[in-house]
Formats: sequence, C-alpha cells, structure tokens
Amino acid sequence: MNLLNRFLNDPVIARDWGVGEWNRFLPLARNARLLGRSLALFEQHDLLDVVPQRLVDQLRGALAQTRYVQVQALRELRQVARVLDREGIPLMALKGVAYLVADLPPRGWRNLSDIDLMVREGDISRAELALQRKGWQPSGEFDAYDQHYYRAWMHEVPPLKHVNRDTEVDLHHNLAPPVSRIRIDAARLWDEATTASDPYGLTVKVPGPADMLLHNAVHLYMNDELRGGLRDVMDFRDLFEHFLQQDAGFEDQLLKRAEALGCGRPLYYAVSTAQRLAGLRPSVDFVRAVQRHAPFAPIAHFMAWLIEQALAPSRLGLRRSAVAHQLLFIRSHWVRMPLPMLLRHLWRKALKSKAPTSSIQETPG
Amino acid sequence: MTDHKLILDAGPFKVGVRTVDSAFAKTLDFFYRDALSSDAMQVLDYDISIAPPRNLRRWIRPQMLFGIDGAVPFEPHPVENAFPMFEWGLNWCIATSAHRYLMLHAGTVAFGDRAMILPGTPGSGKSTLSAALHLRGARLLSDEFGLVRPEKGDLLPMPRGIPLKNTSIEAILEFDPAAALGPTYPKTRKGRVRHLRPDAQSLLAQHEPAVPRWLVFPKYQAGSGEILQPLDKAEAFRQLAFNCFNYQLMGETSFRAAVQIVRSADCYTFTFSRLDRAVEQLSALADPGGEGGR
Repeated sequence: MNLLNRFLNDPVIARDWGVGEWNRFLPLARNARLLGRSLALFEQHDLLDVVPQRLVDQLRGALAQTRYVQVQALRELRQVARVLDREGIPLMALKGVAYLVADLPPRGWRNLSDIDLMVREGDISRAELALQRKGWQPSGEFDAYDQHYYRAWMHEVPPLKHVNRDTEVDLHHNLAPPVSRIRIDAARLWDEATTASDPYGLTVKVPGPADMLLHNAVHLYMNDELRGGLRDVMDFRDLFEHFLQQDAGFEDQLLKRAEALGCGRPLYYAVSTAQRLAGLRPSVDFVRAVQRHAPFAPIAHFMAWLIEQALAPSRLGLRRSAVAHQLLFIRSHWVRMPLPMLLRHLWRKALKSKAPTSSIQETPG
Repeated sequence: MTDHKLILDAGPFKVGVRTVDSAFAKTLDFFYRDALSSDAMQVLDYDISIAPPRNLRRWIRPQMLFGIDGAVPFEPHPVENAFPMFEWGLNWCIATSAHRYLMLHAGTVAFGDRAMILPGTPGSGKSTLSAALHLRGARLLSDEFGLVRPEKGDLLPMPRGIPLKNTSIEAILEFDPAAALGPTYPKTRKGRVRHLRPDAQSLLAQHEPAVPRWLVFPKYQAGSGEILQPLDKAEAFRQLAFNCFNYQLMGETSFRAAVQIVRSADCYTFTFSRLDRAVEQLSALADPGGEGGR
C-alpha cells in the first residue's frame, strides 16, 4: 500500500507528514485523478491547516478544472437527452455523469473524461443514427474490424463526439459485453432505474443504488484501463457509504441484487479492493457474505497483489506496475470474450499495432 | 554519469528537476543560477525528470524524455534539445494544472510594481517585445504567462528564458548585441530557437507581485511605424478574455478578474516594426517625463 492509500484509509495521518511525504503524495494523487477528492477529505477532517499552501493551490486548481468539466458533461447530457427524447428513446445516465445528475456525493470532486449513457438494445441503432443526424460523429478512426468489434461483441457503439464540442459520448446498451462471462439482463436494470433531473429541466434515468455500485464493480472487474482506476474504487466507497447512510438495509440489498444479476464475483473484487485501498469499512456480516463469491484462494491472493501493483504502486513509473497493468489488461479480455474470439482479436490487434503515435499537440505559446 | 537533483523556483511554483544529462544541467544553471537550489526539503509543485529512454536510443542518435508523475506525456526529443523540451514541458504542466490562477497568454513586464501586460497570439511579437523591454531595464515577469491571482487582481512573476524564434533572434541581437542569449537550437518544433536569459534582478524579485497598469495589445507589422492607440475597454476585455489559457474554465472568477484588470489598466493597441522605437514609446508610458515618447 502506498502513501495515498494509507491517506484514503485514514486521512488524519497527514497531520504527521513532512516535506518528503507531501512530495510523494501530490504525484500519486494527481496520477490517480484524486486531487479534488483529497481536498474534500482534508476539509472533511479539518486538516486544511496542515496542508502546505502550494499544495492547497494545486488542489484548488484541479477542483476548478473538475467543475468546468462537470458543466460540460451535464451540458452534453442535456443535448443528447433532447435528441433522444424527440425520438421517444428512453435514456439512462451511467457512472460519473449519473452521479452528477443524481447529485450524489462524488459530484463534489469527481472528474470525468467522457459521458457514459445507456439505451435499450433495441433502440441503440436508432439512437446512434439520430445523434449522427444532429452532428455527433465517431470520435476516432474506426475501420471495418473495429466497427465489427464494437457492434457484434461489445455492449456499446464506437464512441461519438459532437462536431462542435469536446465531450466524448459512450453509448451502451448494457453494462458488460454480451459475449463476456458476466451476462446482465439489461431489462432488469431498467426496472430498477430511478429518475433524476437537474435545475434546467433535464430528466433522465439513472441506475438504482445497488445497480450503480454493481456497474462500478463490473467496470473494475473488466476494465482494461486500470490507470487512474483508484478513482473508481473511491467512487465505490463514497457511494456505498452514502446509500448505507440513507438506508441501513443497503448492504443486504446490494448483496441480493449482485446475486440476482450474477455479479457476485465483481462485487467481491470491488469490496475487497475498496477495503484494502480506499478505506471502505462495511459490516462484518456483509464482508463474510461477499467472501463467498471469492475465487479459489491462491487466485484471489494473486489478483489482490496484481490490483495493488496497478492501483497502489509504492512509486510511480515502476516496471512492476507496468507488468501488472499488462496482466490485468490480458485478464480483462479473458473475462470479456470466449477464448477463440480473444485469440482472433489479439491477433488482429498485434498485426495492426504500430509505433505509438500519441503526441500532445496543444502547446502554450 | 552524474545524477543532478535541482530545485527551480519558477515564480510561484517549485519545480524539482532530476537529470543525468550534465549538459542540460549546465544550461539550466546558465539561465536560472539565482533561482536554483539543491535543498531537498521543499514542497514541490512539479517533479520533473529529464532522462534517456531505456532502449537502444541511449546510444544511437540519443534522445531525452520528459517525465512527470512517473508518466512520459510527450514524444522523446533529441538529446541536444533537452532544454527547450524542459521549458515547453514545464509550461505545459503549468498551463494544464495551475487553474488556481487566471493564466493570461501574455508577455508581462513591470516598472517597479506597475505591470504592463502584452497579450497576444504567437506571431504578434509579444515575446520579442517583452525581451526588448526587459533588455532596457523593465523587470521581466514572464514572456508568455500572466499569472493573475483572481482574489487580489495582481500578477505573479515567473521569469524564464524567453524563447526567441527564427528572425527574432537577429532582431534582438541587433537591438542589444550584449544580450545574454543561450545556445542556439537549430531544429525545434518551432524552428530555430535561442533563449534570452532573464536578469538576476528579475529572478531575485520573482516573488514580488505587480499591479496591472497598462494593457497593450501588440501587433508586429513589417515596415509599419509605431502606432499606439487607446483601446475601448469593452473591446480590451473581449481581447483579453480571448488571450487566456483558462478563461472559460474558471467561469465567473475569470470574468471578474479580467474586468478588474481592464478597469484598472490603460488599454491600447500597438502596431510596431522597429524594436528601439517601440520600446521607447512603451517605456514612455511608465515614465512620461522621460526622454522617450512623442
């Protein structure tokens, strides 16, 4: 466990920090996209006076950026909702943008890079077409194979972006790929969905409380982009605590729902990870019940180790955490698709892979 | 190879710089001697490493990587361009994270504690003009970043090497043959670049804020005379807001800060081509009784 995780577990340890700790903390928190969350923790625990002023400035700068991105995300959601509403297509907001529109605790600090949305599978082609007619375009280059990959095997269409704006829209019809080991009946998510609205007259569906957490868990379980995944683990803890405060029976509901939707294993990983790395403290009974969904012990331990290397490296830029990321990436594909499909997919990707071309073009001056 | 661990005071920011490249460390020392220390007991804003990639490129046409937070956000650069890469990378770090400040895309100089803001897009001549004003004794705040504390409305200095591009290099050498220029970088993404070193006074005074007093929108126009014209405040506001890195991002805060600057500063547009005349005319704003001016 690194310094950031120890802080998330028990923020008051920051009282004893010296220069060395603060200098390790900032890069870790920045890398994990947890600057805004950290600022809130310092405030909630009355620790702001021990934080060096230049760090407070960095944290406030990050929060200003987050607020801006949040406004953009909600605006994008309104634009999409307007188009789909005219088509009579019900729309559900997921993840970050759902927390925003439902005014849940992550709203105070949560950054987001795209908005995740869901429509019913039967509506998704019509929804995509309607959005494309109104100026949303595929946000990158997708060749015939990529198109096939998304449409036949994944639970989303290729990401969209409006020509005049910067926020990416990921349009899903389920929480997990239909070919994966986790098969969720999306209709049941719609049954439990609640309605959220913002002051500007936007009304959309958001998943029910338990489903919101299960989506987070499935995402951790399958995500091939674990970098910055600690933020999602923190979301899990924040939402868990919030819903539990609202309803003392929430742990039970969550467990039952996970079992009903076949998400026991992802729930186990999410709970155990949030306990170890993000200070989640559920009841003993709940932990024991979730434990029943753990894999065979050596595998559970190995996975815990891998996740820790990836999400809580003792230092940034370690070779070991790069290897852990790689293994988790392969594993995420393993749980996403059956083996023959996986082999074909990786073969295609290997043939196509070129030298990395990512280069940031934005330049000050 | 020696491991250099330095701390650079870049205005309000403390920047850790780790490198094994002694030539780069030497260049850093040339530009920032009065702002560098090796005292490790300081809280850092950015912890940057300038290091070779872990592959064959260590030996064949060697390259350098800019590292921050254990990540490498940019493509590698040839080893000889380590300094411009560092400067550019640090600016990128600041521009993408320091939203505690309103960041004007402007050259800024000061006469005592009275600041002159020269906003402008690349090519407007703001760097060259800032360099020339600095060489005639104005305190350099920055050639590129006007860091405004929104709650106070003042500017924080961040004096750095001024990257002169292509023909600006000769223009400055002609203007002041004794100008303290660093090495020439013949091939960077911005063409040929040579940096002007900020003077020791500017570095030593880099924690002393300055109050916006003049807002001048420069425009270099070859062959033109020097024309300084008062600018309508509403128009000045519009152009100032346009020339910010994070105006939109900061919302109401930046609106109020920009309004305050425009209210408290005399606003002008300035077309120029001859550096000596231009500097005379702008300096005269700060010292109306002096020799220069009309």
